[in-house]
Amino acid sequence: MRKLWRYLLLIIVGVLLALPLLAAFSTSLQPLEQVYNPRAPLWPAQPQWDNYQQALIKLPYNRFLLNSLILSLLAVVGTLWSTSLAGYALARLRWRGRSLCLALVLIVLVIPGHVYLIPHFLLFKTLGWMDSYKPLIVPSFLAVEVFYIFLFRQFFRQLPSAYSDLGRIDGASEPQVFWRIIMPLSKPAIVTVLALNFAYHWQDFLHPLIYLQSVELFPLPLGLRMYRTLEGDWVNYLMAASLLSLIPAAIILFITQRYLLHQSTVIRP
Amino acid sequence: MRTQRSIWQFLWPWVIGFTLLQLGPILFSAGLSFCECTGNDWKQIHWVGWKNYEQLLAIDYSYTITPKDPASWTWLGGRPQNPRFFHALFNTLIYTIMSVPLSLTIALLLAQLLHQPLRGISFFRTAYYLPYFIGGVGTILVWQWMFNPETGWINLSLITGYKMIGQAIGWLGFSLPEWQPPRWLYDPLWCKPALALMDSWSCGGAMLIFLAALCLVPRHLYDAARLEGAGRWTTFRQITLPLISPALLFNIITATITATRTFSDAFLLQHWSQQDGLLLIMIYLYEQAFELPNHWGYASAITWILAAMLLLFSIVSLLLSRRWIYYEVRG
Repeated sequence: MRKLWRYLLLIIVGVLLALPLLAAFSTSLQPLEQVYNPRAPLWPAQPQWDNYQQALIKLPYNRFLLNSLILSLLAVVGTLWSTSLAGYALARLRWRGRSLCLALVLIVLVIPGHVYLIPHFLLFKTLGWMDSYKPLIVPSFLAVEVFYIFLFRQFFRQLPSAYSDLGRIDGASEPQVFWRIIMPLSKPAIVTVLALNFAYHWQDFLHPLIYLQSVELFPLPLGLRMYRTLEGDWVNYLMAASLLSLIPAAIILFITQRYLLHQSTVIRP
Repeated sequence: MRTQRSIWQFLWPWVIGFTLLQLGPILFSAGLSFCECTGNDWKQIHWVGWKNYEQLLAIDYSYTITPKDPASWTWLGGRPQNPRFFHALFNTLIYTIMSVPLSLTIALLLAQLLHQPLRGISFFRTAYYLPYFIGGVGTILVWQWMFNPETGWINLSLITGYKMIGQAIGWLGFSLPEWQPPRWLYDPLWCKPALALMDSWSCGGAMLIFLAALCLVPRHLYDAARLEGAGRWTTFRQITLPLISPALLFNIITATITATRTFSDAFLLQHWSQQDGLLLIMIYLYEQAFELPNHWGYASAITWILAAMLLLFSIVSLLLSRRWIYYEVRG
């Protein structure tokens, strides 16, 4: 009986948290003449599923979606590649200056990111990278997101050194040890970085806003902002497009939740 | 020896990134904050010393404040040379004070709720974490619709609730006065609470850290408390709170830094009717740097003032935390 009450409480809180999404879902299915009517039924009498079709056509939604996927996936690949390499060097290799480099990584971790906005903008402008994806992707390949270096380092330190020693005895070079032995053992860390970094780039609004001007390059956050100019008359389409934009991140979360939420390492940036 | 040589194969991306995208830009931006640009071309710069900082921070204390002046002036005790910057600072401060306690309280309550040995609890964890993970422009637009004064669900339920109370009181022979629900994002006073409420919806990150901390509290302490006959509140005050205090400190610092640097929410939800109520410091920075005419030097000074404030806040809270934080001594 007590258990039942606990489940009930969990469900009620869950529904409360879902209310904004439910409201948006309800609006997205309303016919236009009902949208601004405060007495409209909470659930439309005749759900207009066609609204979703319309929302995709009003603006090039599929283009925005594709752009967002390209941007986020490339950035995530870059982050995974560059930060895992650096994390490995800081965790498992012995070399002079290692503790200095670790200190530098930690200092960068403390500096708030908005400091880089202006110098990065001027640098990329001088390089002629405006209105392209380079300013949004290249930094990821250069390990600027130092939090993940730290995350990888903490993970690699926990791995028993016997594995890599075995590889070295067999004559494998350090990169071979890393790619063939260490990385296949690091699925939890890889999945965690992948999920967090994907969510970050998927949501990122400020950087695309600064660097991109052409509509055909816009990722979803900027595209949705264009939908908003429709708000005056087409809120149902706006809600449909907003809800659709949340789906890819939700899918990523449900795939990766086992690693992301149920591990002992849950420190977040 | 072999390791020394192969280290570059691992470290070159970071070395390039650190020198060209972190160390270089930091030094450049620090220098730029002492310069002024003529026109929109940042290359035509000249050194102006502390002028940018002075322009931002100078306060005229000889000025007598009249009741017509904004609230932030009374708070400063004089007339700032740059009222808009101080307005942005003031807004950011008020917003942070509203949003951090609200979102951390909700995060802790949710974490407590999720810290139960139940079947299927992992599903609820994922579900409660979802708002944080999917956040962004899509959820901001959804919330904007929730806050719509006429048709949003928030005001609809407030009006319905008020009517129901009115009816209940009506049976007793009393009547409630006419009441208008707040206009939320279209009101200078209510726009900040609205933003804070929206912010606390996506407190999943803090929730997860609280949850991890709760899992580390030894069970036997709770058993002992129950044997002593301690109530729920006493148990929370005396056992849970001290033991999760390191997580609380971490969350306070990160939540404050995040709230102070709020940009996209405020940027997207700005409306003339707020009378600059959502002019946060990052919005002001964006205006100065990326809208014409671009004041690169001046905007760099803003970034450094903000960074210095955040650093100061972190250091002070770390120092003060020694008094209230509890670190378990591992033997």
